[in-house]
Amino acid sequence: MFKSFLTKWPFLYKLRLILALIILIFIIVCLYFKIVPFGQITYHKSWPQFLGSGKGFIYNFTPGERISSTDRQLPRIIGDPIYFSLFTPRTFDQAKVTIKYREKLTDQTPIIELGLLMDKLVWRYNLQPLENQIIDRLRSNWLVRGGDGLVLLQSNSNYDNLTEFEGDLAKGFLQDCPGGPTYCLAVYNYQPDYTYLLPDQSRGKPLTINNPLRGAHQFYIYLKDEPLRLDFEFVDLNQDREADPITVTLYSGQQNIANQFLEDENPNPTSGDIEEKYLSLEKKELPQGVYKVEVRASNDIVIRKIFSSVHHLSFINKLWPVSTVGNLTLFTDSNHLQIKAMSPASLQTITFADQDYTINETYQQFSFQTTSQAATKMIKFSQDDLILENAGVFSWNEDNLFNPNFKKVDRFFYPDENIKYIIAEYNSPLEENGFKVASASFNLRGAYREKGKYSFIISIPGLRAEDGETDYLEIKEIKIELTGRTLWQKIFH
Amino acid sequence: MAKNISLIISEIFYFFSILVAVSVILEIIFPNIILAYFNLNYLITIWLISGLVGLIKK
Repeated sequence: MFKSFLTKWPFLYKLRLILALIILIFIIVCLYFKIVPFGQITYHKSWPQFLGSGKGFIYNFTPGERISSTDRQLPRIIGDPIYFSLFTPRTFDQAKVTIKYREKLTDQTPIIELGLLMDKLVWRYNLQPLENQIIDRLRSNWLVRGGDGLVLLQSNSNYDNLTEFEGDLAKGFLQDCPGGPTYCLAVYNYQPDYTYLLPDQSRGKPLTINNPLRGAHQFYIYLKDEPLRLDFEFVDLNQDREADPITVTLYSGQQNIANQFLEDENPNPTSGDIEEKYLSLEKKELPQGVYKVEVRASNDIVIRKIFSSVHHLSFINKLWPVSTVGNLTLFTDSNHLQIKAMSPASLQTITFADQDYTINETYQQFSFQTTSQAATKMIKFSQDDLILENAGVFSWNEDNLFNPNFKKVDRFFYPDENIKYIIAEYNSPLEENGFKVASASFNLRGAYREKGKYSFIISIPGLRAEDGETDYLEIKEIKIELTGRTLWQKIFH
Repeated sequence: MAKNISLIISEIFYFFSILVAVSVILEIIFPNIILAYFNLNYLITIWLISGLVGLIKK
């Protein structure tokens, strides 16, 4: 056959056959990279970039004002956060992202995290650590147990291994810790197996929150063997012409135990056409403990009123009051507060833990820190339409406030004499030719994907482009290893 | 020999024409399947050059 091809076929036919084969191979190769039949592929991007031929799979960093670089330099992150996206020709199940970088960060910015966008409506990212310099520094001074992955740091040698420690923690006590685990344990990227019990065991009165809140919110409630009822009154402002569905979800730990959904019956509203909506969530025979409630809604929705049958209710991390009523008071357990004024009328001087702080620009995030030793700190402000955020909890009344979480090793963490243990799921970055190399793994199932792209965030809390400091993080390379189902698994399962 | 070269040039032009068409069709059906790896401008430039060479040779 081959001999006949060489000797008998006319030259034109031979040439056309060869060129047709090349086109066929080209199509097969393209389809191979589209389908990824073996379910595994790696994409990477390195800097500086010279003559690039394709668009690539990892798209450049945004927003541009937080990046400082020229063509021949490595991209330099000077502000937090930075976003990039990954185009994939098909869906995958797991991603391992490895970043090669070098940094010139200060003590104010000791943490570098990488996140994957899970929910675009509430901008929820699954954040994983790349570097935590607080833990890295403590590794050399404190006793370290465990190794790869989960690590326990202790100021005194009380536990020989992690199993002993976790056993005691599950029973609700720790050695050398008379105040209980929540007073002497700090965590990072890890949720220990521990049941929080509120010290005050008396049932309080039902609670009505009449201060309107805008957009998505989350709060903890504490149940004491009592039925739960939550009634919500919403106002749909219809400032944009999008549909605004509302979901209220009740969680016990990570488990979703009840769900209420309110569809927007007017998906193409006239601008400014205000609508009132109501939603209730009821659940009986729930055991005593902490539950989390998530109100998932766009910023077009205002939670006008919340009635809660339980007394202990603390908003988690964020609050956006929009009452337009003056002189409001809030309480928080954190020593840190970030505030953003959302309208010119909100510019003011606020009081946080008896100290005055000025907010003099709209849409600019202001960070305030107090050294107060009080368990709860009061926040007073004359006008709302402010977004208040911190790593703790908020409430409108001091006696509603409780925080079931352990202290987190974040950028404000200081290992005072109370903290005896730190438990973290964290691997320190490796050093390689003057660069650091750190990895983070993500489950891509349930991740937000739009137009074939997954969205990532690089977060360096506290890094600000406008502060005039010369602190930065330079990215040398991003490598993303993806794994998913093979073609055969897709066809036969 | 000269006839063969002329034939090769014209066949190469047809080859690139089909390759450009296939690439564009694949890119329309599966966005980014080609552009992620390869800039089609380079291919179109080569296709134009092959066409010009064919015209000059005629």
